[in-house]
Amino acid sequence: MGLHGDVDKILISEDRLQQRIVELGREINEMYCDDDPPLLVCVLKGAFMFLADLTRQMTIRHEVDFMETSSYGARTKSSGVVRILLDLERNIEGRHVLIVEDIVDSGRTLSYVTRNLETRNPASVRVCTLLNKPSRRVIDVAIDFVGFEVPDEFVIGYGLDFDEEYRNLPFIGVLKEEVYAEVEAKTS
Amino acid sequence: MNHENQISDAIERVLLDEDAIAARVSRLAAEISEAYAGVEYGQDGLVLVGVLKGAFVFLADLARQLAVPHHVDFIALSSYNRSTSSGEVRLIMDSRINVADRHVLIVEDIVDTGHTLDYLQRTFQARNPASLRSCVFLSKPARREVPVSIDYLGFEIPDVWVVGYGLDFADRYRTLPFIGALKEKIYKS
Repeated sequence: MGLHGDVDKILISEDRLQQRIVELGREINEMYCDDDPPLLVCVLKGAFMFLADLTRQMTIRHEVDFMETSSYGARTKSSGVVRILLDLERNIEGRHVLIVEDIVDSGRTLSYVTRNLETRNPASVRVCTLLNKPSRRVIDVAIDFVGFEVPDEFVIGYGLDFDEEYRNLPFIGVLKEEVYAEVEAKTS
Repeated sequence: MNHENQISDAIERVLLDEDAIAARVSRLAAEISEAYAGVEYGQDGLVLVGVLKGAFVFLADLARQLAVPHHVDFIALSSYNRSTSSGEVRLIMDSRINVADRHVLIVEDIVDTGHTLDYLQRTFQARNPASLRSCVFLSKPARREVPVSIDYLGFEIPDVWVVGYGLDFADRYRTLPFIGALKEKIYKS
């Protein structure tokens, strides 16, 4: 299949992903209770696949909501400030919020989204990310649930894309260098 | 896994269990992969447009079984009057990928009156895609008010209130891994 031809290696197999998501679901079940159910906030697009599997492992009551953001461009990149294209449908005042992310690298966007949500006076804001790339961090962010720590490689699959491609691979793979080198050469 | 605390009070019966859903999604993915065989990434590629919030579970399972390369996009809609489903649909967030000359596959969790799918089909048709098809997990033909064409269908179901696999009742029960029929006392209360 053409999709797999661009994968240098599989970093996290489908089985390992699914096993870890079962564990994460259990950890989250223990953190919250049915009487005060959390709202899971999914930051699109990357986290949708993780959200679909994670929430099916959760036995406590919860709701889901979505946000989509877009960068204002290079000048605001360092602050992490993004434009909110789709805001939450739900009012989160007094609610427990769990932000669900596919990956945290620089931490800029997550930091901004967290600060943005905190202005709405939620009961709590926690973060669950499937992947964490601490070597790329430029802004400190607190993460409560982490699936896997990954090295500083170009990871794709399971929601994560390169230029909108490879999101649907059922595993986390590393993209072949020649693939992104070629695209970067074209766009620079 | 145990969802007892969520379901014992609310679910009348399981209409479609996890195995039945997984088997059907696999077959749909195979059909779609065959129909779009040879399509590659690019300006004339395939875009799956998932309709929020309900379609995200179905889309997640369907996409990862597709053999054909594709892009994924989302669209968010709301109706002007939730209680009547009169067909007046409001676009909350548009899709981001320009679909002109691309193959578009709309992915929906459920079609009942048909107004939402009808709106989406008219909206995307006007953008000159290379082709436009729809993939719908559940259809409730008894509720149809406008005719819509569904190219790939998961299941036809009777006119009962269903939850799970993306479908909710007041945002509850959405992420149950099966399709259940809601007890009447829940939606009448």
